[in-house]
Amino acid sequence: MPNSKPPFSERFFKMLVRVFPFDFQTNYGGEMAGVFREQEREAEARGGVGGVLRLWTETIAGVFRTAPREHWEILKQDCAYAFRMMRQNRGFTLIAVLTLALGIGANTAIFSVVHAVLLSPLPYRQGQQLVFVRQQAQKMGVNDIGFSVPEILDYRDQNRTFSSLVEYHTMSFTLFGHGDPARVRTGVVSWNYFEMFGIKPILGRTFLPPDDQIGAPPVLLLSYEYWKGDFHGDPGIVGKTFEMNDKVHTVIGVLPPVPQYPNENDVYMPTSACPFRSSQRMIEGRDHRMMEVFGRLKPGVSLAQADADLATIASRLESSYSKTYPPEAGYGVAASSLRDELTQGARPTLIVLLAAAGFVLLIACANVANLTLSRMARRERELAVRTALGAGRSRLLRQLLTESFVLAFIGGAAGLLLAYDSLGLLADFAARLTPRAREIHVDTGVLLFTLAAAVGVSVIFGTLSAVSARGSLASGLKEGSAGAGAGRQRTLVRSVLIVAQIAFSFILLIGAGLMLRSLYQMLQVNPGFVPQRVLAMRLTFNWSKNKTGEEIALEAKQLLDRAKGEPDVLSAAVSSTYPLEPELLTFGQSTTNFQIEGHPLASGDAPPLANVASASPDYFKTLGIPLLRGRLFADTDDQKSLQVVVINDAMRRRYWPNEDPIGKRLSPNDGKDWLTIVGVVGDVRELGVDQTPGVEVYSPVAQSADARTLLVRTMVDPWILANRLSRAVHEVDPQIAISHVMSVEDARHESLAAPRLTASLLGLFAGLALLIAVAGIGGVMALSVSQRVREIGIRMALGAQPSGIVRMFLGQGLGLALLGVGIGFAGALALTRLLKSLLFEVTPTDPATFIGVALVLIIAALVACFVPARRAASIDPNVALRCE
Amino acid sequence: MTKKRESESYLPLTPAMFHVLLALADGEKHGYAILKEVAHRTEGKVQLSAGTLYGNLARLEGSGMILESDRRPEFGLDDERRRYYRLTDFGREVAIAEARRMEETLAQAHAKRLFRKPGLV
Repeated sequence: MPNSKPPFSERFFKMLVRVFPFDFQTNYGGEMAGVFREQEREAEARGGVGGVLRLWTETIAGVFRTAPREHWEILKQDCAYAFRMMRQNRGFTLIAVLTLALGIGANTAIFSVVHAVLLSPLPYRQGQQLVFVRQQAQKMGVNDIGFSVPEILDYRDQNRTFSSLVEYHTMSFTLFGHGDPARVRTGVVSWNYFEMFGIKPILGRTFLPPDDQIGAPPVLLLSYEYWKGDFHGDPGIVGKTFEMNDKVHTVIGVLPPVPQYPNENDVYMPTSACPFRSSQRMIEGRDHRMMEVFGRLKPGVSLAQADADLATIASRLESSYSKTYPPEAGYGVAASSLRDELTQGARPTLIVLLAAAGFVLLIACANVANLTLSRMARRERELAVRTALGAGRSRLLRQLLTESFVLAFIGGAAGLLLAYDSLGLLADFAARLTPRAREIHVDTGVLLFTLAAAVGVSVIFGTLSAVSARGSLASGLKEGSAGAGAGRQRTLVRSVLIVAQIAFSFILLIGAGLMLRSLYQMLQVNPGFVPQRVLAMRLTFNWSKNKTGEEIALEAKQLLDRAKGEPDVLSAAVSSTYPLEPELLTFGQSTTNFQIEGHPLASGDAPPLANVASASPDYFKTLGIPLLRGRLFADTDDQKSLQVVVINDAMRRRYWPNEDPIGKRLSPNDGKDWLTIVGVVGDVRELGVDQTPGVEVYSPVAQSADARTLLVRTMVDPWILANRLSRAVHEVDPQIAISHVMSVEDARHESLAAPRLTASLLGLFAGLALLIAVAGIGGVMALSVSQRVREIGIRMALGAQPSGIVRMFLGQGLGLALLGVGIGFAGALALTRLLKSLLFEVTPTDPATFIGVALVLIIAALVACFVPARRAASIDPNVALRCE
Repeated sequence: MTKKRESESYLPLTPAMFHVLLALADGEKHGYAILKEVAHRTEGKVQLSAGTLYGNLARLEGSGMILESDRRPEFGLDDERRRYYRLTDFGREVAIAEARRMEETLAQAHAKRLFRKPGLV
């Protein structure tokens, strides 16, 4: 009996042989099976089952030892061949690598941002347990009113769901003992703040309970950035002392680089060291709210459980202190995940950019596939010759896949370099959206992403070229094969790819177009003031030296007189802040509840809320804010005179739509003080040109004693005056810290940076896409012309006019472009909803953008087709017919 | 000279490769016969698995040291699917070069009196 082997062992061995490269299997597979059969027979005869098992072990080990070497040999050969082919087709290689580098680079760059900001866990110990706790007054429309000291103590003592609750607020103090007096942004925190986050200092220690006792020697922790920037990373900083708030503060440590939320600080101090927080008034005042609260959930506690716990405490407090928590204010407390807090500002933009980068990669892929297809047409003969010389079909397919992988890999590496290069810029961009921007870097995750992108790309276009090659391998050596079925099929595939490229480009162009329109709208908005040629600088008085309002008012007056005396100064003002000031955009405006004389509140109604600002008489003139009614502040409006305010037009419209508000009175403190309205000024977009102006109340600096900003309108470039004015300020009071010197125009520019950068990036992506797609459609047309030379010759010989030929090809190109635009139109309608939250006064389906982009794309496609169409029209029928 | 240099570029051969060349030195053989010959000659110390054998055959064939033989045993005497391999002149040169290399190494070991028991000199 010739066939006495058990079928399973033979089947298994054949499966094993599949580990080898296909050619190896074809060459030796049958023989190997034969040898193995004989070995098995002999092993069985000699050693029984044990012998057979031993043989199997040795055989399996042998296969897995040998097969990788065989694959490696082939890979080496294929790579060498791929490099040879790439050298031979330098133009193709350059374009393909460049296209892929742009596609993969754009994706890698955006992904590294998304990875760091949205995907990575927070750089704190068990960051998923960290929450931000908000006290809200919903009926008054305030999302975050902060907490007072008694409230924090109540929530800390009564909760059952938090392992710790810590407080935080930020203030500016003046630091002496390190060059000029410096304004330092100071985070004031509970002693266990850093312990709760799991932040370990890189130098020294963090706070301990004794540091937070009232009367403890004041201590400071420096942020990493402040230590690096202002102290050049001095390793001996711990133990150094500085003067702040009239007390000696000792540096006890330096923090590592971690994202700081809700804002960046230069230094941190325990609550006991802050003169405001440690005052009796703050410690006892239940409605003196200025603190934020962070917490760590106990293990296994969900956000909903924490919210329920907080709500129970809130309602307990509401019944115990009904005067502090009137039901009409709608007090409530809610926790939200810190991770969401840190990233929610960046999420929509990053998702849009990632989608856009993804489209660019798809377009790049389609383009390289297209290039590959046209090259395959030229390589048909080479492949056919190699087949005839004995190369197996699968061997050639493997070769083509290797070639595409080598291309994609080089493109990926170049893309990675591009991405690495642009990362600094992107991190700056992301920093405007999230404090996590500092975590952006290229790491293993990003490298794996790039590799995956390169492999994915090579699989897509490698498969396409392989599939296309399969059709032609059989017929390659036959004469005239270039014009045969395979060629036509290829043209169809190429047309589909072109339509896809145009559709994707259309979607990207729509995205970019909408963002640009939105940006244009923002630039067109009248902000309500004239930002040009105004210099602003932040002044921080030494708090301990300027205790009374009168003193501050007096010093402000001296400052103004000094500033106005400088040459080239048109007008000068001091104020609490100015419109679009970066810090204002971060922290929001100060607000107050007020009541209007003669307008008693209906029960259950929340008291109205207004933004408050203080301004010296020339504030409105300096910023070009128009007076609409009444008068502006005068020097005579001081502490001794009538308390006056100026309101904005939005307030007038809301509360006195049909009356003159001049002479009406407001009270910010339940009728204790009454402020008389003396003027109405125009609305100003304080918080962003895309933010509708709210209700605004201005009080004179002389009465409110809040002078933190010096504003100067100049005749020349305001920057020229920066140094002169700083000197002037220090001549009035050398202890004033000056910071944030910038022109108001720069502040406005800065406030638009995020939308401008988003628009620029989208525009860049869309531009690339357009270029690639238009070049692609031109290429397809050129190929189509060269394939149809004979047909064109016949047509012309039969009397066709050159203009007719041009029309024919333009019509063909127009057909592809229209189809692509049509599909893109549908896609864009579905996808632009993603952009909605980023758009200002533009709908996601803005007809003008859609029509404009469609026209641009179609015209660009026609121009690209015109060149090959003209070449077709200039074909000499005699030559064309003879050639064929 | 060039040829010599070329054959030396393959040295040292892996033991499995050398044994396969050696097995073909006295005439052409099919795969299973090579396995048997190697096992027999080394008294079972070298047992090649099918994968290792054909991996080596592929490489030797690729570098021109062996060739598939055209000759087949008479009909009925052997399985027709079996392929026979023979040593090429180049393969013989490489095998000789490898044997010389081993011989030289062995001579050096002798010169160093490696085989004598230490302390007897």
